[in-house]
Amino acid sequence: MTTTPTEASPAAAPATSTASPLTRVLGTLSVVGVLLAGWLGLSASPRDVVQKDSVRLMYVHVPAVTWMYVAVFLCAFASFMWLRKRTDGWDVLAASAAEIATLLTGLGLFTGSVWGRPTWGVYWVWDARLTSTAILFVLLLGYQALRRYPAEPEARSRMAAVLGLLLVPNAAIVHFSVDWWRSLHQDATVSRIDVSIEGLMLFTLAVSFVVMGIVCSWLLVHRFRVGWLERQAERHHLDAALADRRADADPSAGVAVGGPR
Amino acid sequence: MLTSTVLAMTHAGYVAAGWIATFGLLGGYAATTIRKGRRLSQVVPPEERRWS
Repeated sequence: MTTTPTEASPAAAPATSTASPLTRVLGTLSVVGVLLAGWLGLSASPRDVVQKDSVRLMYVHVPAVTWMYVAVFLCAFASFMWLRKRTDGWDVLAASAAEIATLLTGLGLFTGSVWGRPTWGVYWVWDARLTSTAILFVLLLGYQALRRYPAEPEARSRMAAVLGLLLVPNAAIVHFSVDWWRSLHQDATVSRIDVSIEGLMLFTLAVSFVVMGIVCSWLLVHRFRVGWLERQAERHHLDAALADRRADADPSAGVAVGGPR
Repeated sequence: MLTSTVLAMTHAGYVAAGWIATFGLLGGYAATTIRKGRRLSQVVPPEERRWS
């Protein structure tokens, strides 16, 4: 049996997802970018004289950690704005950025660890950079736990916003730890004008950095929309529950005769 | 072709672990987020999905 699409049919209904023309463009660029970065990072770029092929981990480690800083600062900024404006949008943005920051911090620790084994001979040392990053990761995990804590929404958002602001000094300690303390971790490679890598390696790192930025932006837009939908769904659920309670309490509905006094 | 290139590398296991973990985790997170968005979109009216 065939049906003809009408205005009420699913074919005519708005898209039931978090996708939009913007996310489709970002998604396509992400897939193409990941393929390009993969080819450049794993095949086209040369091996390092000292580190050999383990240098290829730089193309995933450095972009992940750099965008981690951006996500942490975005979370802190959105937290600050929520404390000022108290609107859902800033709260959802802070939660979304923190989730992506958690993911990137975990990736930074993991890729750094597997890069450290062939380079330093160990997966982990209690070095200033690694330890401060691990503390940041624990703080971000705490933030995720706080977001899922069954509390009154306003109080939960307020506590999360305060914790979101506290991430900034920790991120600053992570960044400057290699300058402030003697560290096994190398200094910043590309944050200065006189970069210490060049040629195709630098180009590959730049491409990986841009691709990671596009992927993170794509994820952030989707995650923000999911957070927004969660708020609306909770609101509808609450409205429906209140309507049910009112219907139950309404004498004209034929209930509550001789009910509790 | 890329697999054979990776296998021919020094420290191939470390390089593969780093790259697979990175894009595997990001891909898995993207899939989970999109799936959750689709599920939630079913219960929220279209007028509250400003992007659709």
